[in-house]
Amino acid sequence: MDPQAPNLLTLLVLLPVAGAVVIALTRRGSESLQKLLGLGVSLVTFVLSTRLVSVFRDTAAIQFEERYAWIPAWGISYHVGIDGLSLWLVILTTFLTPLCLLGSWSQIESRVREFVVFMLLLEAGMIGVFVALDLFLFYVFWEAMLVPMYFLIGIWGHERRIYAAVKFFLYTFAGSVLMLVAFLVLYRASGLASFDIPALVAAPVDPALQTWLFLACALAFAIKVPIWPFHTWLPDAHVEAPTAGSVILAGVLLKMGGYGFLRLAIPLFPDAAVRLAPLVGVLAVIGIVYGALVSLVQPDLKKLVAYSSVSHLGFVMLGIAALSTTGVTGAVYQMLNHGVSTGALFFLVGMLYDRRHTRLISEFGGLRAVMPWYFVVFLLVSLSSIAVPGTNGFVGEFLILMGAWTFSPWMVATASLGVILAAGYMLWMVKRVFYGELSNPKNHGLPDLSAREATVLLPLVALTIVMGVASPLFTRRIEPAADALVRQVREAKQPGPAAIASVPTPAAGEVPGAGGGPVAGARR
Amino acid sequence: MSADLDLRPIIPAAIVAVTGVLVLLAQAFTPKGHSSPSSALSLAGLAGALFSVWLIGKGAPADAVLAGAVAADALSLFLHAVILAVAIVTVLLSPGYLRANGLERGEYYALLLFSVVGMLGLVSSLELVSMFVALEIMSVALYGMAGLDRSRSESQESALKYFVTGAFASAFFLYGVALVYGVSGSTSLERVNRALGVLGPDAVPLAILGAALLLVGFGFKIASVPFHMWAPDVYEGAPTTVTAFMSAGVKAAAFGALLRVFDYGLASLAGRWQPLVAVLAIVTMLLGNFAALAQTSLKRLLAYSSIAHAGYLMTALVAAPGLAVEAILFYLVAYAAVNLGAFGVIAALSRDGREPVTAADLAGLADRRPALAAALTLFLVSLTGIPVTAGFVGKFYLFNAAVASGWVVLALVGVLTSVVSAYYYLRIVVAMYMEEPVGEDPWAAVSPAAALALALSAGVTLLFGLWPAPVLTLARLAGRSLF
Repeated sequence: MDPQAPNLLTLLVLLPVAGAVVIALTRRGSESLQKLLGLGVSLVTFVLSTRLVSVFRDTAAIQFEERYAWIPAWGISYHVGIDGLSLWLVILTTFLTPLCLLGSWSQIESRVREFVVFMLLLEAGMIGVFVALDLFLFYVFWEAMLVPMYFLIGIWGHERRIYAAVKFFLYTFAGSVLMLVAFLVLYRASGLASFDIPALVAAPVDPALQTWLFLACALAFAIKVPIWPFHTWLPDAHVEAPTAGSVILAGVLLKMGGYGFLRLAIPLFPDAAVRLAPLVGVLAVIGIVYGALVSLVQPDLKKLVAYSSVSHLGFVMLGIAALSTTGVTGAVYQMLNHGVSTGALFFLVGMLYDRRHTRLISEFGGLRAVMPWYFVVFLLVSLSSIAVPGTNGFVGEFLILMGAWTFSPWMVATASLGVILAAGYMLWMVKRVFYGELSNPKNHGLPDLSAREATVLLPLVALTIVMGVASPLFTRRIEPAADALVRQVREAKQPGPAAIASVPTPAAGEVPGAGGGPVAGARR
Repeated sequence: MSADLDLRPIIPAAIVAVTGVLVLLAQAFTPKGHSSPSSALSLAGLAGALFSVWLIGKGAPADAVLAGAVAADALSLFLHAVILAVAIVTVLLSPGYLRANGLERGEYYALLLFSVVGMLGLVSSLELVSMFVALEIMSVALYGMAGLDRSRSESQESALKYFVTGAFASAFFLYGVALVYGVSGSTSLERVNRALGVLGPDAVPLAILGAALLLVGFGFKIASVPFHMWAPDVYEGAPTTVTAFMSAGVKAAAFGALLRVFDYGLASLAGRWQPLVAVLAIVTMLLGNFAALAQTSLKRLLAYSSIAHAGYLMTALVAAPGLAVEAILFYLVAYAAVNLGAFGVIAALSRDGREPVTAADLAGLADRRPALAAALTLFLVSLTGIPVTAGFVGKFYLFNAAVASGWVVLALVGVLTSVVSAYYYLRIVVAMYMEEPVGEDPWAAVSPAAALALALSAGVTLLFGLWPAPVLTLARLAGRSLF
């Protein structure tokens, strides 16, 4: 536990939950109070979370650690802590949640209480995933978070919301349950009788078994990222979700996949990770190009942004697959960038939808004339999405491509194609929406950004620039942890013969005489 | 006092039996037109029995009493507590349901209490013949309860079906007992256990046949495939509170006896019956879940879901006995709370012989009855096995037991069929939260007692999902007491 900030992480998880409980007990009809309470709780959470940044030391060590026995019989503890890989993701979560609540202030009219409650529960779940250092705890947060997201899409979404909500739930649930089995097998194979992540990382696992366990975990994370070809739930979920849902989904939820690779799949199964890295890399590159090509032909703004996410997250996965310090740092940084810029894009598309109730590009044109401020913000965020130097997107993608060069120059070359295509689909879309004649009469007199909308967008725009020109502020906290991860993986790749414990795997049908728990010996 | 004459362990069952008689008497002496105090009396008796279980648990441990026929171990006490709690929640749910549907009859509570006596006997029998007697006491009372609503043909059909298949199952069970007696020379589980340990090779096939027949008998009671056909019809036709009681109580009692017979009496044959159980578990999980997909009726859906859950429970039977008992006991607690809750919501809404039949009947429930919809969602989430509910911890425990014994395939089938189950459970949630209500709210106002029952179920589901350690400790204690 950090003496400067005792129990800070627990507080960050519990505060939104407590807020949700209080709001759930308020009466119907006091919608403004519920919104204000929700915004207040999420803002306090954000302010508290900034303390993480000020106290954080730039080392690879796990900080703000807390550990309490939870289910001692199974070696499960409530163990939380953060390092450079998770620090900014926690901040990203606490940063985006109040913006989402503010951004949907006038959009959400029905069942406001439930909406705020689900948003806060979602926030707690996401923070929990990023701070958990126990497999059981991680899984609890990982799965528990599905429920509020499912409701957000299903209740406040658009026309095909029920289909999208069920698809989202089943897809991600199917991926995670195999991960659960992998955890159970690892629990047994390690012989530690513990679900503690740092302890399990230190314990060697038989390489043959690693492959299976890595694949099981990777599937769960690949669906969440999503890596091509596991991405099909994403366009549906994004398009049908309300704006706040899309922002959280793109901004934070998808990051849990990349984070899962960095925190669990790679350090727990380093040998398999190195062996299978080319596979992940190839899928990532396919995703980059595929996502960009599909974005190019989308007639719907929100779908375009959704598919561009597939492309952007391909970069993240390429950086992770490269398993170099620069690549991993770039991947984490790119996750933050994507949260900021795609979050902003979803807000912007949502604001346009609020005005016109359509998202079809062909309905617009010449909006520059009626909504100048909106246009400026949109252009800036688009440039960041294209990764123009000076914006945050550039730093992330550059680090990734640089870090992946030694991994595979061929993949880097193909991925660069994605950067060019991104410029194509974004700028072409900007041209069709904002330039030209204001031909559609329905677009005459559309109001420009309101004060509330500007308040939502301003922090995002500011971050786009700050993260573009002052990236070391962020990367110097990420790098030590990324370096430690890469080192750990490289060292585990050449283990001494004694380091690999052989794992007994009794054939099906055989009755195990031992290993079945503490009372196994009692069989007669 | 000799241990044989120590009657403490049968006090809870005796209290319940006497209460049952009192309920019948009170009914007989109540003048026409006055309602008898059956439910209050039953509640008092059950609470007294539960209190006595607590007292016995605090006192000096006794292993077996009455010539070794009745166990007084931690396993027995644990299941006593579960069954009595199930009965208490059922009694809380009942008055409102019976009144709203014109079914108020004193014999309902008497039958319920007699059935509980059978269940308590079932989980504490250490001797196959008394186990059979207990099984019959439990079942015969339930046949009557299933047919309580004489005006509805579904209810009659339910009772008849349950009776015929139940009698069939009893015959299998008895035949199994006979064969086991034939090879071991005893019906006492302790002696069976010893005799089978030193069995000659020519007697082994007979012993296995006996084990298989016993498995068939239990298979009917826990509703595992292929002995499940009765469950959907019986669950659908029986009065809903009876269904709730059956699904939670019978499963707990039958699994308790199953654990005693197989993980203790027949433990030395484990290598032979475990593959059989594994195959049955897989088939049960698959069929239960896929058949549930096709159901439109809520009660049938929950019936198939209860079949599927029998499959999940069976996966732990392949583990070492201690681990299996722990895992199954914990899951029984989680499952009982959730099933009582889910059927309880349907019962609480039921009025004038009408109840929510399909998911569509619950459309917009979240708007009209937010608390009820939230509770049902919690129960369905727990049935799916999603944190932070007791259902998740329970499934984690079961599949961990399977994996710890090298049966990864059972865990894989278990988790993948759970994904299938998410689809049909979610459909109900979709109706409640994402569809618009149609017309007037036709459902009954929830009685305070039923609200308390649902709150208890929801509380247990959430509490043991967040903080399972105390129950795990007790379950582990029970797991060790089997030997």
